[in-house]
Amino acid sequence: MESVIKNSYPVTGMSCASCAGSVENILKAQDGVVNAQVNFASASVLVEYQSSEVSAEALKTALNGVGFDLMIEDDQDDVRQKLERQKIGELNELKSHVIQSSIFTFPIMIIAMFYMDLPYANWIMLGLSVPVIFIYGRRFFISAYQQVKIHKTNMDTLVSLSTGIAFIFSLFNTLFPEYWTHKGLEAHVYYEAATAIITFILLGKFLEEKAKLNTSSAIKKLIGMQPKTVIKVAQDGSEQQIPIKNVMKGDLLLVKPGEKIPVDGRVQDGSSFVDESMISGEPVPVEAVAGHAVFAGTINQKGSFRFVAEKVGSETVLSQIIKMVQEAQGSKAPVQKLVDKIAGIFVPIVIGIAIFTSIVWLIFGGEEAGTMAMLASITVLIIACPCALGLATPTAIMVGVGRGAENNILIKDAESLELAHKINALVLDKTGTITEGKPVVTDVIWLSDKEEEVTLKQILYSIEKRSEHPLAGAVINKLENEKIEAVEIDGFESITGRGVSATVNNVSYFVGNQALLKEQYASLSEGLKTKINALQDNAKTVIYFTDNKQVLALFAITDKIKDTSKQAIHTLREQGIDVYMLTGDNEQTAKVVADQVDILHYKANMMPDEKAKFVEELQKKGLIVGMVGDGINDSHALAQADVSIAMGKGSDIAIDVAKIALITSDLNLIPKALRLSKQTVRTVKQNLFWAFIYNLIGIPLAAGVLYAFNGFMLNPMLAAAAMAFSSVSVVSNSLRLKWQSIN
Amino acid sequence: METVLKFKTSINCGSCVAKVSPRLNDSNFIESWDVDTKNPDKILTVHLNAANPDASSDAVQALIKGTGFSIESC
Repeated sequence: MESVIKNSYPVTGMSCASCAGSVENILKAQDGVVNAQVNFASASVLVEYQSSEVSAEALKTALNGVGFDLMIEDDQDDVRQKLERQKIGELNELKSHVIQSSIFTFPIMIIAMFYMDLPYANWIMLGLSVPVIFIYGRRFFISAYQQVKIHKTNMDTLVSLSTGIAFIFSLFNTLFPEYWTHKGLEAHVYYEAATAIITFILLGKFLEEKAKLNTSSAIKKLIGMQPKTVIKVAQDGSEQQIPIKNVMKGDLLLVKPGEKIPVDGRVQDGSSFVDESMISGEPVPVEAVAGHAVFAGTINQKGSFRFVAEKVGSETVLSQIIKMVQEAQGSKAPVQKLVDKIAGIFVPIVIGIAIFTSIVWLIFGGEEAGTMAMLASITVLIIACPCALGLATPTAIMVGVGRGAENNILIKDAESLELAHKINALVLDKTGTITEGKPVVTDVIWLSDKEEEVTLKQILYSIEKRSEHPLAGAVINKLENEKIEAVEIDGFESITGRGVSATVNNVSYFVGNQALLKEQYASLSEGLKTKINALQDNAKTVIYFTDNKQVLALFAITDKIKDTSKQAIHTLREQGIDVYMLTGDNEQTAKVVADQVDILHYKANMMPDEKAKFVEELQKKGLIVGMVGDGINDSHALAQADVSIAMGKGSDIAIDVAKIALITSDLNLIPKALRLSKQTVRTVKQNLFWAFIYNLIGIPLAAGVLYAFNGFMLNPMLAAAAMAFSSVSVVSNSLRLKWQSIN
Repeated sequence: METVLKFKTSINCGSCVAKVSPRLNDSNFIESWDVDTKNPDKILTVHLNAANPDASSDAVQALIKGTGFSIESC
């Protein structure tokens, strides 16, 4: 069997973009490989290959030959679980480090505070602090060293500088106290500061990691919807339980009551009711009978059925959703780039301030100048740690995107989430967005002779069957109900924005709108025109069936407005957003629909590129434009808009182009999405406040500005605690977003 | 007798060099080789063993292409 497999595998051994290119070239050079695309950032490759010519094992061998490796043994689920287990393992290790570190630190603090006169106090403290610095604090020194090697600094630089200086200074004073005592000074040690800083920062890191694990719970929920095994029906009818990763396209699978549907496919036999609420949002189970499409992750309620797998692995709708959410959570919002920049220059500035502080103390510090200078600069280094700054945006975005996913709003990149609340003009497509997009024929007027009618119906049916226009579906349904059969047609042609034409027995036939009618010079009687106007006044779209001489029939088609549209548009307008409706439909229909849902601005007879131009015009007026659509014809306008929203059940292209996709087709999700955006942005801003406020207040205190007035010096331990608390406040503030209502 | 050939390549970093090393080291027509990763063109210099009948510029290029990196003579 000829089948092209498209799969993504993790690759190891790539350390630069050239390595990535090399992997891509090697894979592409293998026989049977259609395409290979390496994502260097995620260390994975997307390979498309003919399973009949080459196997994943062969690809792995080819890469092994040059020192790279393709991880094919594990399917994606296992990789994710492994990563998760690894994360939990790391978290547990961190936890035990925090506990052990505190066990050593606690007696040091007690001695430093109450029992300084204990014999050999300094030596005892030195002994206790060695494991804290060299075992539990080792990670900071290693990381700082690695940063120095590439001429960079980060928060670990600050931690290792401050604790390192405090420890070495104390060590010196323990070994050579006479250096100070000869000068009549006391040889102070700061083991308690060095160890407490490490313990507090470890604790902060632990709390932060724990919170981060929580933020991705939305993804976990989605992944939990994928079953692990599936029952495959062999050709002889025997049933066998196989792992889901072994399911191939075309396999016949059995689903029993209460089971989750493993992959996307089409029902072959049997019937049941399927709960599709995770994909469609509709609470009512859908009847699944032969020919009906079923989706991975939805739940079979009663009855069992067999279905043929059509999309497996990463191609299923559920996998696409998971992938989108994951990518969005990893994407960077524009504000994050600013934060990155600040963080990049922040550390050198802090080191500068610390040096300046110590110089000032050395000059004006009087008797204890040396000690005070060191203490003050250490405290500055500790309190300034910008780790909370680094967490401010990503945690909020992660929670925001996850929150969206729980509410059937899929946000594909962080930028849209940041921008959406600024929208002040929203452009809505009519069909499928405001209306249900399921047109039905309400009136039919035949103008031809009765005896010809059946033949003409057959011709019309055959032409419409070839058309992809949504209105054609309505005509087909109508004719199918009359049990009309198809005939041979030639020269089928689609006339964009007008309709379709075809030839039967050397006669040209056309099906289309009024524009097409005018082009074909077919004229209408006055009586008919009145009828047509009456139909259009009721928001019905009239399409014409003509040959090259005369009009043969008229069909009035209507598309019901969704129950929720009016409410949603009302809410949007209340939020101060200008709502526009665009449609390819005629003026009358557009007006009636606009009136019914209270839209003030609408444009009818719009071609696809005109929709995009309209969006551009609004943008030129300085408006931030959101575009909502569902069809291929909207994709141009979606791409043009600042924030693009695709309606669920829309065409794949529209969902592909749009940055936000609504899983259900309820317009009420749009105000929700905008509110979510507002809350997320507000959270980011609050986070930045929390990240900066500690620094702004803490740095001058740490430098000792108050000392001159009231002798206050910030204790380095308190500084470490404040710093850890800053990260914790940022993460908990982001988590708060989880519980906020967006209704 | 030795012949020295120079090629522009995409052998970019230490890890890339590690990937091509086994192939270059194992070939019996190359006496010695070196990649200048600091040069923007990542120049690969090869000392060929001219006594070996297989030794040619094409043979070196085929060897590197087999590892997926790009190569052209300069």
